[in-house]
Amino acid sequence: MSVLVLGDGPIADRLRATVSSDVEAAVIVTEVDGGRGVGPVEDLDDATIDAVFEQPMQKVIAGLQQAHAAGAKRIVVIVPTIGMSGGDQHAVHAALAEAARITVKSAARQWGADGITVNAVALAPEEFGVDATVAGPVAIAPRAMSGEVDPSDTVAWLCSGSAAHVTGQTVVCDGGLWM
Amino acid sequence: MNRVDGRVAIVTGAGQGVGEGIARRLAREGATVVVAARRAETGEPVAASIRDGGGRAECIVTDVADGESVRACVDETVRRFGRLDIMVHNAFMGGIPHKLENARIDKHWTNMSRTGVWASLFCARSAMPHLVASSRRPTGTGGGRLILITSPSGVEGSANIPLYSPAKAAQRAIAKSLAREWGPHGVTVNCIGPVAGSPALLTAFERNPALQDAIEARTPLGRVGDITEDIGSVALFLAGDDSSFVTGQTIICDGGSFLGL
Repeated sequence: MSVLVLGDGPIADRLRATVSSDVEAAVIVTEVDGGRGVGPVEDLDDATIDAVFEQPMQKVIAGLQQAHAAGAKRIVVIVPTIGMSGGDQHAVHAALAEAARITVKSAARQWGADGITVNAVALAPEEFGVDATVAGPVAIAPRAMSGEVDPSDTVAWLCSGSAAHVTGQTVVCDGGLWM
Repeated sequence: MNRVDGRVAIVTGAGQGVGEGIARRLAREGATVVVAARRAETGEPVAASIRDGGGRAECIVTDVADGESVRACVDETVRRFGRLDIMVHNAFMGGIPHKLENARIDKHWTNMSRTGVWASLFCARSAMPHLVASSRRPTGTGGGRLILITSPSGVEGSANIPLYSPAKAAQRAIAKSLAREWGPHGVTVNCIGPVAGSPALLTAFERNPALQDAIEARTPLGRVGDITEDIGSVALFLAGDDSSFVTGQTIICDGGSFLGL
């Protein structure tokens, strides 16, 4: 059956086209806009905090509620790894990414008794438009694997009945950069 | 020992609880402390008590959810004392138990977002030039420090207050980002994740002694932290010269209850 994919942009479009499941499932793509609001924190104005952190975070909360209301038994939230690594001149983007990722754990704790799993899939910041030459390296070591990373199969597995006992986790799908 | 002698610190939410403990500990080690409290009724007595004990402290009424109020606090601190070396953002409002599926943004998220996430950015952007200036002082006489008070729940999520966790998680991400951003200036940015005898927790213990028993039973050190001697001492470490090569980190100070980092 089809999976409810909430969010806009190329990641959401790809997952909408590729991911299906044998149980009710939903995917929420956190709207991290790595091209907006980049700069030193002392230049950060309230409108930017609202646009880059607050409104997208409220969408994550609303998305989780929508997925729950729709009866989803598998919920996956897509985030960039910049929340875990931090990013130079990307404090607001990192705040959003990490807030979304940890909301997943809270949801997993609350909804686990109802058989609902909630997990995160973390992708490289570049997938969200973050310029790594500004944000700084995600890890000390270089990426372990080469080639394009397609998270579709990972997301599909977390959306499936096979992943019934995996919840509150973050699966990093970036070719072995963040470890 | 006067490990932060001559330094000037702002501690938000210092009118009670963890913030008060940090303010007292820093003042005891020689810092001039601004007790930044939303209400003078709580902040003034703490500042007065520190002064009565021989320390240097003043209260500046500050609403951390308001960026202009934070900026005014920083400006007034520098006007009165000539510098700002240590910014501790501890104030936080919210934490109402809720079900995530029924959570309302206005009731269960906004206060925590504003006082946790937004306020961390407000404190950072206003304090930044002064913290950089502190780090340019000769070794042993300065060193810019931003310390954000987070929680173990910001790492492991919360079943009772699910939206508390993302607010606290965001603070850790901000700390890591600013550690990268400010490292070249010599300013360090770190977090503390305390579990301590705040007024809210002590009140909860009075109402429900079983809660205290449960927390102490799951804690290897078998007790809840003291706001001054346990939490304040970690803040002192991060505020002083001993931690000059530590940045972007979170120190969980909870007696070993949470071991997930």
